Amino acid sequence: MTFYVIRRVAIGILLLFFMSAMFFALTRLTPGQPVSVGENPRIHQEQVNLRLHRLGLTDENGNPYPIPQQYLLYLGALVHLDLGDSYQYNVPVTKLLKQRLPNTALLLGTALVVALAIGIPLGIFAATHQYSKLDMTTSITSYVGVSIPSFVLGIYLLLIFAVFLKQTPLHWGFPLFGMHTGGVDDPLDLLYHMALPVTSLAILEIAIFSRFMRASMLEVLHQDYIRTARAKGLALDKVNYKHALRNAILPIITLVAIAIPQIVNGAIITEGIFSWPGTGQLAFQAVVDRDYPVILGVVMLVAALTVVFNLIADLMYAVADPRIRY
Amino acid sequence: MAQVPPLPIGPAAGVPGSVPNQLSIETTVEQERALQQPGVKADELRDAPELGFWRLAVIRFLHHRVATGALLLLGVIVLTAIVVPIITGDLYRIQDYRHPFKPPFQSLQHLLGTDDLGRDELARLARGARVSIMVGTLAVVGYLLIGGGLGALAGYYGGWLDNALMRFTDIIISMPFLLVVIAVTAATGGVRLSTVIIVIAATGWYEIGRLMRAQFLVLREQEFVQAAKALGASNLRIIFRHILPNALAPIIVSATLGVSGIVLLEAALGFLGYSIPPPEPSWGNMLSQFEDYLLQNQTYLVIFPATALVLTALCINLVGDGIRDALDPRQR
Repeated sequence: MTFYVIRRVAIGILLLFFMSAMFFALTRLTPGQPVSVGENPRIHQEQVNLRLHRLGLTDENGNPYPIPQQYLLYLGALVHLDLGDSYQYNVPVTKLLKQRLPNTALLLGTALVVALAIGIPLGIFAATHQYSKLDMTTSITSYVGVSIPSFVLGIYLLLIFAVFLKQTPLHWGFPLFGMHTGGVDDPLDLLYHMALPVTSLAILEIAIFSRFMRASMLEVLHQDYIRTARAKGLALDKVNYKHALRNAILPIITLVAIAIPQIVNGAIITEGIFSWPGTGQLAFQAVVDRDYPVILGVVMLVAALTVVFNLIADLMYAVADPRIRY
Repeated sequence: MAQVPPLPIGPAAGVPGSVPNQLSIETTVEQERALQQPGVKADELRDAPELGFWRLAVIRFLHHRVATGALLLLGVIVLTAIVVPIITGDLYRIQDYRHPFKPPFQSLQHLLGTDDLGRDELARLARGARVSIMVGTLAVVGYLLIGGGLGALAGYYGGWLDNALMRFTDIIISMPFLLVVIAVTAATGGVRLSTVIIVIAATGWYEIGRLMRAQFLVLREQEFVQAAKALGASNLRIIFRHILPNALAPIIVSATLGVSGIVLLEAALGFLGYSIPPPEPSWGNMLSQFEDYLLQNQTYLVIFPATALVLTALCINLVGDGIRDALDPRQR
């Protein structure tokens, strides 16, 4: 077990190195540089050189470092959890991430909890009442849910609530923590702001969770030990919820771990649409501004989170299912 | 006991005048009926066509009403994507500043209205459909070539290739995919559709690769492969003639469902401005100005592309699930 964890962490770190190298190369291969006299004629060449040097792109005399050396500098800083400075905001990327991460965590966490709270019971019910009306409705809804990307769902929601019903503003301004302060003190206001983005992120996950839960539950319900339990004369509810559910819910752990980077992906656009001041919107804006240190920072963060969550999922799996040993 | 029918050589049983009491080449259908063998209806068995795996799958698919309906609708969408751009020609980019925001269903000239620059919405939608379907199909072909090829090799030979495939999957899964595509697009100097297709194909093939690997891992241990080996078949022949046809079913399902994923991904990229550049329309970039349209209450300019996108993805998903049910009836 200990060996397994060490091995996985080692692989994860290697993976992060690989990804940082790839993304670093990609961002450095793009033409142009963050500061130039051409962009702002009022600054002197010396100032430009100084700035480029601070960003780790050139040496003191303004000669650009070769890309491998730039990467080594970046790596050296990365070990100290320093992701460099943002071209756009002129502040350390880590500071930006620290500001935005709580907002994203709040949004994604809520979406995930909502999706689990609705999707799993729905899937269980659909499986225990196979071919019932609710089962059919669940199937249809999950098909539609999987086919709507979260950004289109967000647009639809804005269309319905902002344009047709005129209940919400079209363009959201945010009194949240991070960039602004004071918003968390008013939970009702926070809830109002979160309702639409959480819905647009949660629907896809509800669709996936309910579908998966239904399939997993049905598979378990057809196994021999369930028949035995029923033949013994156990109550149906007891068989369904005590014997079957325990085994059927295990694969969901993996699914949740896989779902997290997926939601982060969806959050990039959803946060942009609803102007939610999180890491997704930061990445969205960084893409528009071509602010590569920030893009790189977000990518590294997501990759690290994925590695960690995958590891946690595998370990939890071993805890939940004693048959699994690493 | 049923008699063993004689081999149909020579005029043994069917001598004129004799009463046929057994099946032979000369006995007619009527005579066979007259025999009245208990249990077996001879004519029914004889006329039953021999159904192969794929024909049975087609029949099973056609019995799936929802999937068949989705396939028909998808056919209509694909046909529109092919035919309408040919008919309308350059209409998708001809601007008419006197008639912007013409509402839909008002005139035959602009059946679905015009957008903010007075361009015909129907022509733009159809052309956008073409982009979506083209990207979807080409990228999936890429998935099949890369993922199928590498997955087959990894599953068949194992070894370092197998390990490399698994690690690559780990990397891809932990990447925010949109940012990858954007970074690559930026690095290769400008937004082109070919870049988008190549990047999607190069990063998304791992799912089919893993499926193919799993199939090959199972199938290469089967008796018929050992038999082929014992008969001296080359590796290439075993891979293509013996294993591949048996491994195809889940691959086809995954590829079909992959198309809808790519269509949605392309739309998301277009929405961010990283797919085909304007004035060329795609469903994604038609939605990118949604805020302006909603502010000006021109909801149809948002509803049409969004609904076209969702409808197409839904149809592909339904068809994919229909194929899954048809190919693997046990899974229902």
